[in-house]
Amino acid sequence: MTNHHQDKATFLERLIFNNRPVVIALCLLVSVFLFYQALQVRPSTSFEKMIPLHHPFIENMMEHRNDLANLGGNTIRIAVEAKDGDIFTKEYMETLRQVHDEVFYIPGVDRSGLKSLWSPSIRWTEVTEEGFSGGEVIPQTYDGSEASLEELRNNVLKSGQIGRLVANNFKSSIVDVPLLEVYPDPEDQGRLLNLDYREFSHQLEEKIRDKYQAQNPNVQIHIVGFAKKVGDLIDGLLMVVGFFGICFVTTMILLYLFTWCVRSTISVLITTLVAVIWQLGLVNLIGYGLDPYSMLVPFLVFAIGISHGVQKINGIALQSSDADNALTAARRTFRQLFLPGMIAILADAVGFITLLIIDIGVIRELAVAASIGVAVIVFTNLILLPVAISYIGISKRAIERSKRDAHRDHPFWRLMSNFAHPAVAPLSVVIALALGISGFFYQKANLQIGDLDQGAPELRPDSRYNQDNDFIIRNYSTSSDVLVVMVKTAAEGCSVYDTMEPIDRLMWKMNNTEGVQSAISLVTVSKQMIKGMNEGSLKWEALSRNKDVLNNSIARAEGLYNTDCSLAPVLVFLNDHKAETLKRAVKAVEEFAAENNRDDLQFLLAAGNAGIEAATNEVIATSELTILILVYICVGGMCLITFRSVAATICILIPLILTSILGNALMAFLGIGVKVATLPVVALGVGIGVDYGIYIYSRLESFLRAGLPLQEAYYETLKSTGRAVLFTGLCLALGVATWIFSAIKFQADMGLMLTFMFLLNMWGALWLLPALARFLIRPEKLAGKVGGSLLAH
Amino acid sequence: MSEPVSRRTPSTHIVPSYRTPLARILSLCSLLSVFALAPVPAHAELGESSAPVYSIESARAAHSLLIDIALAGKRLVAVGERGHILYSDDDGQTWVQARVPTRQLLTAVHFVDDKQGWAVGHDAQILVSKDGGATWAQQYIDVEREEGAPFLDVLFTDAQNGFVVGSYGALFVTRDGGETWEDASDLVDNPDGYHLNSIAQIKDSGLFIVGEMGVMFRSADNGETWETLEGPYEGSLFGVLGTREPGVVLAFGLRGNLYRSADFGSSWEKVELKAASGNDLEYGLAGGNLLPDGSIVLVGHGGSVLKSSDDGRSFVVINRPDRLSLSSVAATANGNLILVGQAGAQLASPTGAKLGQQ
Repeated sequence: MTNHHQDKATFLERLIFNNRPVVIALCLLVSVFLFYQALQVRPSTSFEKMIPLHHPFIENMMEHRNDLANLGGNTIRIAVEAKDGDIFTKEYMETLRQVHDEVFYIPGVDRSGLKSLWSPSIRWTEVTEEGFSGGEVIPQTYDGSEASLEELRNNVLKSGQIGRLVANNFKSSIVDVPLLEVYPDPEDQGRLLNLDYREFSHQLEEKIRDKYQAQNPNVQIHIVGFAKKVGDLIDGLLMVVGFFGICFVTTMILLYLFTWCVRSTISVLITTLVAVIWQLGLVNLIGYGLDPYSMLVPFLVFAIGISHGVQKINGIALQSSDADNALTAARRTFRQLFLPGMIAILADAVGFITLLIIDIGVIRELAVAASIGVAVIVFTNLILLPVAISYIGISKRAIERSKRDAHRDHPFWRLMSNFAHPAVAPLSVVIALALGISGFFYQKANLQIGDLDQGAPELRPDSRYNQDNDFIIRNYSTSSDVLVVMVKTAAEGCSVYDTMEPIDRLMWKMNNTEGVQSAISLVTVSKQMIKGMNEGSLKWEALSRNKDVLNNSIARAEGLYNTDCSLAPVLVFLNDHKAETLKRAVKAVEEFAAENNRDDLQFLLAAGNAGIEAATNEVIATSELTILILVYICVGGMCLITFRSVAATICILIPLILTSILGNALMAFLGIGVKVATLPVVALGVGIGVDYGIYIYSRLESFLRAGLPLQEAYYETLKSTGRAVLFTGLCLALGVATWIFSAIKFQADMGLMLTFMFLLNMWGALWLLPALARFLIRPEKLAGKVGGSLLAH
Repeated sequence: MSEPVSRRTPSTHIVPSYRTPLARILSLCSLLSVFALAPVPAHAELGESSAPVYSIESARAAHSLLIDIALAGKRLVAVGERGHILYSDDDGQTWVQARVPTRQLLTAVHFVDDKQGWAVGHDAQILVSKDGGATWAQQYIDVEREEGAPFLDVLFTDAQNGFVVGSYGALFVTRDGGETWEDASDLVDNPDGYHLNSIAQIKDSGLFIVGEMGVMFRSADNGETWETLEGPYEGSLFGVLGTREPGVVLAFGLRGNLYRSADFGSSWEKVELKAASGNDLEYGLAGGNLLPDGSIVLVGHGGSVLKSSDDGRSFVVINRPDRLSLSSVAATANGNLILVGQAGAQLASPTGAKLGQQ
């Protein structure tokens, strides 16, 4: 068995090292091609990729998407705030008019739907003896005088726009800007253009915010809406490219400090960069773009590539001390490290692949992109790197150093080897057990599903966008967390009493559900209109059984029913989008639907941002445990196959499990929920963390076979591989740690969690693995034995 | 805010109208549609009469739309949307929701003593309570009448004689404490079927009804015959009240219109109402009550609370800062007010202003 494998390895070794120019040429060709492909990669964010498309909520939403188009759809709201005084001044009204006119000409704005106090469509009405009377809120005669401002104030009071277009405190008012995703080119009306969210967002900043805040120092401008949020996200995305630069430079410095060799530093960096280029090129080839999630992959590939490169360089330096030339050293290292490297990479890939079971586009793309990324490392860092080194060799200084290192004593590693000492090991295990158990119960009690912060969860709570959003929530009567229930009827069925009466009851039920602020539907409008038709008498604020009265009453309830009156959304405004709140609201609707659904009337969940989040949370809650179990089964299986030993598998897995538990506890402690961004971290963390265990255990085992006692064997392991593991852990952590500074909240959360997982995994492998080995491995049984493990040499 | 009619199109003015409010036209429309569509399917109301659907108990009921409030002895009883009836035995500090066999909007409530009371509302419903408002039973319902259009006010002169007025000229009378209700709409000369909005007993004089388009009727013989009066105002009147003085009638309605008569409605005088700003009060007045101390409180849109201590000759006006519409008012033993309306039941100072932290 073992011989068979070694033959295979030698064949591969011969194939590669006997054809070195071909290998180099092939890699060069592929690199040129994929570099060209990588240049084509574009940042892309797609709404559909971020949501679980096959969840029944989302399927319902997609089915009725067109009918819901007007529903708080793609609009931007610009709040113009008067810092001193209120909006009823000549200067304020003039600025507001200019903002209104300026927005009108920004490409992509649906001009017919633009609304502000200056729109003729904004009117006031009142009931008089004569019936209704009304007019434009800003009358034709408006001239900015005291008298006309007073008239304006009265009209606003009578307009019903307070809390909607005008803030409750009269210190700001809103310009409501509907957008067209596709619009005719102003230069060539026949041509259609797609709305460029980034460009649009920049225009809002320049032409509206900066311009008018400079022009009138007494106004402040707040902008919210999907398009602005996406614009900010794309900007944040591009910032990440800068992080890559930082990461590259710091890695280079660390690498040099590790090797003391310019040649090997550069060859590791270049082969790793080649890996990143291949990964990006391949991603583009299969038609993916770079979204805020898969943006993480180049970092991961870079970090993993460096880590394997370091193992290689470390090996070559050690081999060089007794090999006569660079080629021999490279060949020996290849022979020694190719298989453990392959297995480690395979473990990574398996960890990533398990993510495919989550029904969310971005996570699946992340899984595919990351798997491709680690696969290319086999070619670049396991094959290309040793071949390249065999030509250029490594510096004399590095070889000297490794020769010296091989013979001198290392107090640090000597100290660390005590973790395998019979007196220290039980203590370590007890500490680990205590940490694990308390961490487990802490995370069980405190870890939440979903997003926990106010506002747009994608961005940081203190970002400009979220501050603007907060301003609007505070001053206007609308909450930003909306759960939409779709009420489906036969055509022309939405306005009949037998539909509207149950809708009314649903709204009341929701109103009585904890965490619900209010609910709005065509029933709300209908009741108000019926009251209005009856001279404003509260005694009439109820649904009428009369068909014509009901039909009349919803004539102006735009967006609250579709064109053929077969779908009416009920908008449920929630206090927040915490998982508990969402769950309660969803449960209430489901109960109501179970009692009231009939053939011609169905209450369907769910649209609105809260509906989407509720669906996402459900998917995540069900996937969380599955992912964890799958990852451990796969990784455990890999270890079993590799080492043919349950004890070895346990030694490697226990530190990883401890890290997973503590990672969850940290998330609970920091108030980070389990969500689309943090769920993959588990799989990524375990997949990559297992590398350390594999490298350390395989070394330890080989020293044990050579007959060394455990602590001595561990000391030798630390001296050779431990050094590289320590370095690798720092390198990986550094690669993702820069993300903590991302403007995008979920990227920062991912960065933080991955950094923590990488560091802890490394520490677990160095500290806990030998302690467990003390209990589980019988060195005397291994000593002198050759067979068993795949990695035995 | 002003009259809560925010979504009207200007096109309402184009409706061919000979000085006719839109409401008028719509009521005619609905009348016509009754003829056009009769017979109306009756499954809903059948279900309701066979197994009554009770109102849902809710912590938010005390903050939902409440329309009227009355005293049953010392107990406060308020009625409103979704069949909500609430009572309070601690002067409006806490409310208990009563068990009520309807989910329709209730528009008025009246008690003759600390036990017996009646409430009316949409679907032409009359409910009765024999236990001071804790439990209610249905006494009358007619969903077919104008497609469930509402009764709007209820008055009992004693435990036997009661009157209900409502939409499209409804006048119903009982002489046996509500055991039987008789449609007496024809006793009133109301050919156009104007809504009858309110009914009151005027001290030492008789009964008085006001309604849509300023119509007024009085009866000096306990509702046996009704006399049509020429009112002082052409807009709708939503309420009528008697005071402590014989023959004095207060009638009020749209746009702060308030009239006082000292001769049981034969002649009228407009009562001028000034808002705090000094302008004329322009908010509609919806309801009011004569308080035990003889003062009179009226309430209406825009958070208007009007109080008179001179038997309705003049009023002090405040507009509560939330500007939410109010519908009726009652006084507690210590003189504080309980206001009901869009915000549910609110405890207020004797002038109607906000009360401390309540």
